[in-house]
Amino acid sequence: MPLYNFKKIAVVPSAKDFIDIILSKTQRKTPTVIHKHYKISRIRSFYMRKIKFTQQNFHDRLSQIIQEFPKLDNIHPFYADLMNVLYDKDHFKLGLGQLNQARHLIDNVAKDYLRLLKFGDSLYRCKQLKKAALGRMATIMKRQSPNLEYLEQVRQHLARLPSIDPYTRTIILCGFPNVGKSSFMNKITRAEVDVQPYAFTTKSLYVGHTDFKYLRWQVIDTPGILDHPLTERNVIEMQGVTALAHLRAAILYFLDPSEQCGHSIAEQIKLYNSIKPLFNKKPLLVVCNKSDVLKIDDLPEEKKRELDVFKESNIPVLSMSTLTDEGVAEVKQQACSMLLAFRVENKMQTKKLDGVLNRLHVAVPKARDEKARPAFIPAAATEEPLDEIITDPKPKLERDLELELGDDYMLDLKKNYDLPEEYKYDIIPEFWEGHNIADYIDPEIFEKLQQLEREEELREESGMYAVPKIEMDETLKEVRELAAQIREKKAIMRQEARVVKRPGRPVMPRTTTAKVRERSVSRLKSEMSKLGVELEDKPDAGYKRTRGRSRSLSKPSAKKMRVDSEGRARSMSRLPRDVSGVKDPVIRKKLKKAAHKAISRKVGKKGLKGEGDRFIGTKKPKHLFSGKRGVGKTDRR
Amino acid sequence: MPQNEYIERHQKLYGRRLDYYERKRKKEAREPHKRAEKAKKLRGLKAKMFNKERRKEKIQMKKKIRAHEEKQVKQKHEEVKEGALPVYLLDRDVQSRAKVLSNMIKQKRKEKAGKWDVPIPKVRAQGDSEVFKVLKSGKTKRKAWKRMVTKVCYVGEAFTRKPPKFERFIRPMALRFNKAHVTHPELKATFYLPIIGVKKNPSSPMFTSLGVITKGTVIEVNISELGLVTQSGKVVWGKYAQVTNNPENDGCINAVLLV
Repeated sequence: MPLYNFKKIAVVPSAKDFIDIILSKTQRKTPTVIHKHYKISRIRSFYMRKIKFTQQNFHDRLSQIIQEFPKLDNIHPFYADLMNVLYDKDHFKLGLGQLNQARHLIDNVAKDYLRLLKFGDSLYRCKQLKKAALGRMATIMKRQSPNLEYLEQVRQHLARLPSIDPYTRTIILCGFPNVGKSSFMNKITRAEVDVQPYAFTTKSLYVGHTDFKYLRWQVIDTPGILDHPLTERNVIEMQGVTALAHLRAAILYFLDPSEQCGHSIAEQIKLYNSIKPLFNKKPLLVVCNKSDVLKIDDLPEEKKRELDVFKESNIPVLSMSTLTDEGVAEVKQQACSMLLAFRVENKMQTKKLDGVLNRLHVAVPKARDEKARPAFIPAAATEEPLDEIITDPKPKLERDLELELGDDYMLDLKKNYDLPEEYKYDIIPEFWEGHNIADYIDPEIFEKLQQLEREEELREESGMYAVPKIEMDETLKEVRELAAQIREKKAIMRQEARVVKRPGRPVMPRTTTAKVRERSVSRLKSEMSKLGVELEDKPDAGYKRTRGRSRSLSKPSAKKMRVDSEGRARSMSRLPRDVSGVKDPVIRKKLKKAAHKAISRKVGKKGLKGEGDRFIGTKKPKHLFSGKRGVGKTDRR
Repeated sequence: MPQNEYIERHQKLYGRRLDYYERKRKKEAREPHKRAEKAKKLRGLKAKMFNKERRKEKIQMKKKIRAHEEKQVKQKHEEVKEGALPVYLLDRDVQSRAKVLSNMIKQKRKEKAGKWDVPIPKVRAQGDSEVFKVLKSGKTKRKAWKRMVTKVCYVGEAFTRKPPKFERFIRPMALRFNKAHVTHPELKATFYLPIIGVKKNPSSPMFTSLGVITKGTVIEVNISELGLVTQSGKVVWGKYAQVTNNPENDGCINAVLLV
């Protein structure tokens, strides 16, 4: 987890957006309906609330911006200096300071107008005062627009800065432009810094990480530095200088003895001397890059002598080539081990260590006699493992063979053929004596085919496949016709049923009376005769009612039947609802019980007074009638 | 690890996606339709703000189009008539009529302006009931002789309130102002100047004595900051100014310097 993370700073809106955000928030989150006949105290507090709310929002938003940006005095000097180089400390501080001032001004405006509002005597006056107050706040913010723009740019750039931890083990690469710093970086880390054959390809600091001795090492690639006074250095160079000045790290000074970078060795050494104060009290290593072009040993004598400066001041000089990878690992190793030693030494000097060292004690038991007591290792442990001695029970795979034989291995599939050993490796030609061998795999194939055909002929002759002709007699014909009729009738019935049966319709309408019995002997007879079946009246067929249900067939009816012209034209009273559609009193009772149960359940569940209770608790639910409707729906808000 | 200008770097290395420009073009072409849709859909404050913005844009666009059209139109040269005057003789005796007219109008305006010597000649009269609020006093709140001023007023520095028993007019602290935004009409600049006193409130001499400041009131301001000098070389420090706004509604006093 990096110590400094500037990615979490919230976006700084432009002045226009800022005002829009705050004002629309006021509109959304404060009440909007007021009338002039309301009590004046209510009107006043309505507008006071608006002013206060707006001021509070401005205040919060501005404070958030001011707080989230790093304070240059509180962060590590490396970052403070880097930000100074990149964004200009004065400008940065001024920007934040002015925002602070704006916040203060807005607070004051709100205070003044709240005081004036206390004496507002009409809705109009109160509204005017509110309008003036919000307008003045907005004007103050509008004046901050260049500041906000600047801060937004700083925020974006800050978020993209590499996350450098100033306290960890760090290696810094520096030197003239184009000497191979970035290529070395790409060799030992996975940073993927852009490498190009021109100067100042790297325009800012880059961070990569590498491993050595199971530790994580931070590698910082700096832009190239030219040899001129500090005041003349530009922003790109100054970034490298800040890293060199403030980070306690191992420094790799890159030299290009081949002078391909466009600077002579003398110049490079001059630069080294001019930035030497930055290397003070830090482990330093001079790396001569591009050894594939020119080795140090191949240098002419006078140039070699120039390099003696380093030897005099006991600075190790290594050579490597990032192109051929020669010496790259050694450079990394040496740099890391130097830095590690340096850090350990530094730690030893601090007072903190004493507290730990005092508590450490390595106990060594005192020898009680001269007898040597080495650690016991069972003999079996030193022997070879058993399973290597025992032959492998697993079959040998082709893969094993391949590994065993190496380059001599050839894939041989013929050895698995199911043939006697002597034929296995015979070569099978495709054509032999002008014939395709594949055709002769079965020599008797034509004979077999002929035999099959002969058999088939015989079968045909014997009439095995002939369709037997069926003689239709009278009865069979009738049966057939009848069957056809039945089928037709069935189909018609099915279709009729489909037409009549419509979904969503009660099976039995409420107004129907109990079904009259439809089945009768006569009907059966007529229907069956229609279908072509004659029912004879046999006595034991049971078609005829043998005895009437009434006690006496001859008994005259109790009421005289009307036999006048009217016939059966008298009105009938409508059936009571509980009887309609019910077959008999037993079922009726049953149904009543069921209905009673259902009603009582519903009443109980909803807390109604009874079946007829149509009470609606709240006719106008508050949530559906208060607030604004917007574009939404009327039944949900 | 992405760092520094990683987006630009990626674009340099891998380029944009193949249909980037096509998509961009389409998106831009779709934009007006989307905005129209939005304009239809929005309601309330958001719609108000959006439409205001849109109106402004449209005006700008139309202006621009008109400007371009003007550029495109070729100026027609009038045919030279017989006996036309050469250029160097043109403005000898011919005076353009338009100029005369505009001069006359200007003259008239000047004359008119001279009749009144204050920028706001007509002021709505303020009644007592508007300016004062009756305060009930006494144990049972029966007495009603106290008045509270509900307009902005100027109270001198040396003013001390009378004891409550004798204080008929109360001027609340919140409504006391001692500075005004004064515009110099010739310099066209505005200064935030301290008030010295209320010269005249046109509504009533009592308001003047109380220092009530309403629209049209003439106040005296300290203009030593401006560094104006009299003919004899002395620095002018007091001058009159007329209030041009309703201070009780705006929360500030705006005035025009009477020069």
